[in-house]
Amino acid sequence: MWWRSRRRRLGGMKRLVATVRCIVLLLLAVAGWAYALVLLIALTLVIPFPAASAGRVRLADLGRRLARDWAGAGLPDLPRTPPPVPQRRDDGWYSYGGTLYRSPRIPAWMSRIDHYSDDPEAVREWRWLALTPVTGGLALLLPPALIVLGAVAAATRPWGLLAAAAAVIAALLVAPRSLRWYGRSTRMMLLPSDRAPRPAGRISRAWTATWQLAGLAGLSLAAFGAAALSLVAILLSWGGLLPMVTTTTRPLTGIYRSRARQWFGVDLPSPYRPLPPPPQPEADGSYRVGRGLYDDRDVAISMQRYGWAGRDPATWRDLIWAFGAAVLAPLSFLPSILVALGFFGLTWQPLSWAPWGVPIGLFTGEWITPFYLWYGLEHVHVVPAWIPDWTSLLTGLVIALLGLLLAAPLARLHLWWDRAMLGPTAAAVLAGRVARLHTSRAVTVDAAAAELRRIERDLHDGAQARLIAVGLGLGAVARLIDTDPVRAKQLLTQAQETSATALAELRDLVRGIHPPVLAERGLTDAVRAIALDTPLPVTVDGELPGRLEPAVESAVYFAVCETLANAARVASHVILTMSHRDGRLRMVVTDDGPGGADPARGTGLAGIERRLGAFDGDLTLHSPPGGPTVVIMEVPCALSSPKTSTS
Amino acid sequence: MRVVLAEDLHILRDGLALLLETHGFTIVASVADGPSLRDALARHRPDVAVVDVRLPPTQTDEGLQIALEARGARPGLPVLVLSAHVEQLYARELLADGAGAVGYLLKDRVLNGDQFADAVRRVANGGTVMDPQVIAKLLNSGGPGSPLTALTPREREVLELMAQGRSNAAIGQRLFLSDSAVSKNIAAIFGKLGLSQSDDDNRRVMAVLAFLNAGT
Repeated sequence: MWWRSRRRRLGGMKRLVATVRCIVLLLLAVAGWAYALVLLIALTLVIPFPAASAGRVRLADLGRRLARDWAGAGLPDLPRTPPPVPQRRDDGWYSYGGTLYRSPRIPAWMSRIDHYSDDPEAVREWRWLALTPVTGGLALLLPPALIVLGAVAAATRPWGLLAAAAAVIAALLVAPRSLRWYGRSTRMMLLPSDRAPRPAGRISRAWTATWQLAGLAGLSLAAFGAAALSLVAILLSWGGLLPMVTTTTRPLTGIYRSRARQWFGVDLPSPYRPLPPPPQPEADGSYRVGRGLYDDRDVAISMQRYGWAGRDPATWRDLIWAFGAAVLAPLSFLPSILVALGFFGLTWQPLSWAPWGVPIGLFTGEWITPFYLWYGLEHVHVVPAWIPDWTSLLTGLVIALLGLLLAAPLARLHLWWDRAMLGPTAAAVLAGRVARLHTSRAVTVDAAAAELRRIERDLHDGAQARLIAVGLGLGAVARLIDTDPVRAKQLLTQAQETSATALAELRDLVRGIHPPVLAERGLTDAVRAIALDTPLPVTVDGELPGRLEPAVESAVYFAVCETLANAARVASHVILTMSHRDGRLRMVVTDDGPGGADPARGTGLAGIERRLGAFDGDLTLHSPPGGPTVVIMEVPCALSSPKTSTS
Repeated sequence: MRVVLAEDLHILRDGLALLLETHGFTIVASVADGPSLRDALARHRPDVAVVDVRLPPTQTDEGLQIALEARGARPGLPVLVLSAHVEQLYARELLADGAGAVGYLLKDRVLNGDQFADAVRRVANGGTVMDPQVIAKLLNSGGPGSPLTALTPREREVLELMAQGRSNAAIGQRLFLSDSAVSKNIAAIFGKLGLSQSDDDNRRVMAVLAFLNAGT
């Protein structure tokens, strides 16, 4: 008999242990289900979200370990990185998102929010918590349910002892299988998939949008709280605490901006004016801020910050945004509330009733109906009593679907308000541009002057001096040619060599000023020429269907030279793509090097950035550790008519 | 030998004409811009054309373009292209048709009149002449995975001279090697690069250049 042969391998004691494990895992599944709800609530309330996520991580890790050790699911431990801890700076402050804080608490909380919302395991683990009562829980329920049924029979029926024994044996037989089933389902849900993620379907997109919108609304409520607090503080202090808004509201709107970009692809650039440089003492030792003179430096600085925060329209627009967002919040929560009530309350809740309803019924004798939420609705006369309970399953789905349908338009509404208030005003954009042009013009002028000085020095010390030498040599030859022809010949050879050196120097100089191949062929071929001269394989893709302005051409050429030289130091293959679209030239240089390039450390990248900055162009660097490094250079420029071709 | 000369700078054009005439060449036309070069090549059908890359009216690579165009119409028309700078890109374009009888030199090389006249003559006779700077760049652009890294320093020197278009005798003279030593080195190079040997000097050079061109 099959069970006999198995029993020999699996002793009775082990089966008993398996049964106990079933019960423990069942309790874990029920607790996890409850925790999934807690997580949802924490997500919308924002403030407890990091703490709740930390609990989720612990619960999932426990589930992984137990499923592996008890249920034979081959689940490796995940290499978790703990959330970053803010480092104390040398001056005793803590920094987050470009703002300094005295205490590490706020920066720590904010980087924890960032950390947990970026966690790729979050969705997978939440799903596991929410679904396990059904996917694995029903199997786990079987052994304890059999034993309880047996016990009930033994207590109430005359033939109960026999039935109880049969039930216990059945439970012991079934327990290892239940565990295996649980292990398999847990493995399926928690094992990171190595397939490429499929493009999300409409439902799944709406589902994501629903919770992300709730997250945004939660964040905006947090920002509203901070804004209201600082407003009260400002009013109570007669305006004295005005700069406080920069440390209370701005970090939250900062998180909001980054989330809006990451979740909805809406770019809301930071509109704040840069912090002014600290005031310098005047001749008499006082500090001047605007029209005021202050003896004390700290007072001067706080006066300066007062003006800086108060005159920045972004300060007030943030406050207006926060109040408007608070008005919009109920609408923004609507989709998630409908989904929670419909899907989790009316549909999922009856379906997952067995793992918690049956134990409660067995132990207390009180049998709670799976449709108790529906009953509640009937009780308060929301639902007519003549509709059967089971329609709750369908009604729930319909309500959830309504919520999903509402998510996208309501998100658009919220983002419209964000764009209007959180983004920079046209004036701020212009002011930023003027500031940038001001710096880049100064840099360009300096660079041009330095370049001219270098050329002058090179010509003076190089070609010019050598030509003088040639002239002197030829003079000597003229004198000696009749008297000492041998010596004259020597001098002639020397003059020839000197002029060859002068030529080589001039060629290098010319290449540095304006490469001849660029003048002769334009940027496309000039880039191909650099690619050929770079001592590693460079694949060049794309071409430009015309010529650019000479100055832009030259700037981009030298930028590409520098980038390829950087790449050649670390990589073994480079791909360069060039294109011109919508009035922008775009050069993308991808190398297979080890990555981790830091624009702050290398002067090369900063130089390229300045070079392109003079033409309103910019440089983006993606260089994660491990590579690949991608450098994207973009310059707005017009293309002239098609290539001037002579053939 | 009948030569068409194209160079826009008056002083250089006259100097080149003088140099070539003293070495026994006949200058049938000496022109200063692209359109006249095109006419002269069509009318005189010279034994060799000596052409500056950059010519008026566009002051771009007009000379090179016309040379390529003329070789398209008359394959194997001997052309020696001169330039103030050398680019692998241009060398590739000149070599692309595989017909030989092509040269690409820095203008600096005219300083050594005998060598320059020799180069013109080799091109006129169907040979290939590449500037040492072009060859140096070609040899350096392979990257770390290139089969060129397998060559010994001596073989590399031989390859460099061979790619410039020099004969066995010239290579031996330059490196102080016997003829048989040069042949041995060349056989080793061809073995390492996986090229098939050829007794014809010119074909051999083309094979080497084709290999170097494909290297990147």
